[in-house]
Amino acid sequence: MSARATLRLALVVLLLLVLQSTVMLSIRFEGIHPDIVWLLPITAALLAGPETGAIVGFWSGLAFDLVLPTPFGLSALVGSLLGFSMGVATAAVDSRAVWLRPVAAVVGSVAADMLFAVLGAIFGQQQMVQIDFFSLFLVVAVSSALLVLPVNRLVRWALSTEGNRRSLVSASSTESGRW
Amino acid sequence: MLVVLSLSIISLDLNSRTHGITSGVKSVANSVFSPLRGAVDDVIDPIGDFFAGAVHYGALQSENQKLAATVGQLRQEQAEKGFEQSQLRNVMALQNLPFLNALSTVTAQTQEIYTSNFTMTITIDKGRADGVDVGMPVVGAGGLVGQVIQSFHHTAVVQLITDGQSKVGVSFGQGMSLTGTVDGQGPDSSMTADLIAPHAALTKGEKMYTSSLDAAAFPPGIPVARVKSFHSSAGASQETVNVTPIANLTQLAYVDVVVWEPPA
Repeated sequence: MSARATLRLALVVLLLLVLQSTVMLSIRFEGIHPDIVWLLPITAALLAGPETGAIVGFWSGLAFDLVLPTPFGLSALVGSLLGFSMGVATAAVDSRAVWLRPVAAVVGSVAADMLFAVLGAIFGQQQMVQIDFFSLFLVVAVSSALLVLPVNRLVRWALSTEGNRRSLVSASSTESGRW
Repeated sequence: MLVVLSLSIISLDLNSRTHGITSGVKSVANSVFSPLRGAVDDVIDPIGDFFAGAVHYGALQSENQKLAATVGQLRQEQAEKGFEQSQLRNVMALQNLPFLNALSTVTAQTQEIYTSNFTMTITIDKGRADGVDVGMPVVGAGGLVGQVIQSFHHTAVVQLITDGQSKVGVSFGQGMSLTGTVDGQGPDSSMTADLIAPHAALTKGEKMYTSSLDAAAFPPGIPVARVKSFHSSAGASQETVNVTPIANLTQLAYVDVVVWEPPA
């Protein structure tokens, strides 16, 4: 990843971190707020493949871990696994498909939250599996489906200097069909 | 490699000997990030309050009237109980037990509520620089709210008593002779009181206070929970007791951190 892409990604992560800590915390349904942290590795994986997805997932997760009361490094672990597996799972899918981003956002965010809770419990935080998972999945799924496109635009801007991108080239030629 | 790196960081955080490293990193990050978050909050909060006020105007007016009536009642009760409190303070002083009113507190404003969907925590705007440290009890809204679990330079994270990891030793009954543990069960769940002998003399609505046992994690006498329901199952080794927090955990705009550290 080039230095320019790294700097841009850092800015995007900081922006989403501020949004998560302010705006997202004030939007609640049944006490649950949207989680936008997972959208970064998902969109990075869709745009540039599993390796970039894992790297973006690790660093964005680590940044979010700084302000979360959960074990430090847990979001980084889940983010890197999510980014890599999302990139692998969608490698054979036509990246121009209109449904790809919302579906990937919903499935990836819900799976990531589930993994986050289970790993947290394994690491001694049993309260993480004592929550209302139905409300959590509902809020996270709806918010991820709505927010994936703006986040995708930000990540695409950040990665636009990348040489090994997978779908950025095709994205620019078929942009109207995918946005 | 990233997975191994993540697992190594988690290990550092969970190990009590190396926890200071990750805690220090978090502390520095919070010091840098807090002003930025505060500035954004200052911009968006009035907008949110405007819409909330417009939508809930009637409810807010009614709530104000109820609060005014409650303040009047409390003033009256305070005047009536002045003498009793003075006597109680003297008795506690004789027993060499810290009485909450004699302990100093740090008033803090809540910055964030439930920063994660997986934990019941709040972030307050006071930290180590203000005398707030890990382990200190937090009170407000009528009773015990929780305990400080992370303390940074100017902010701290408080674990609420409803969090699944929270355990509070309590005393109750006549002469505070019975003891137990109040356990959090997560959001929207009734808390439970454990380690209470079967057929213990309980009454519905009975208040439970922080225990005065040696090495307790809280100073004694803070109201914690009220008995909601209880029953003894045949052959059970303990009473099944459901309790509700006495503190109104939906009203946590301001809380008091009690400057009291648990015994080592």
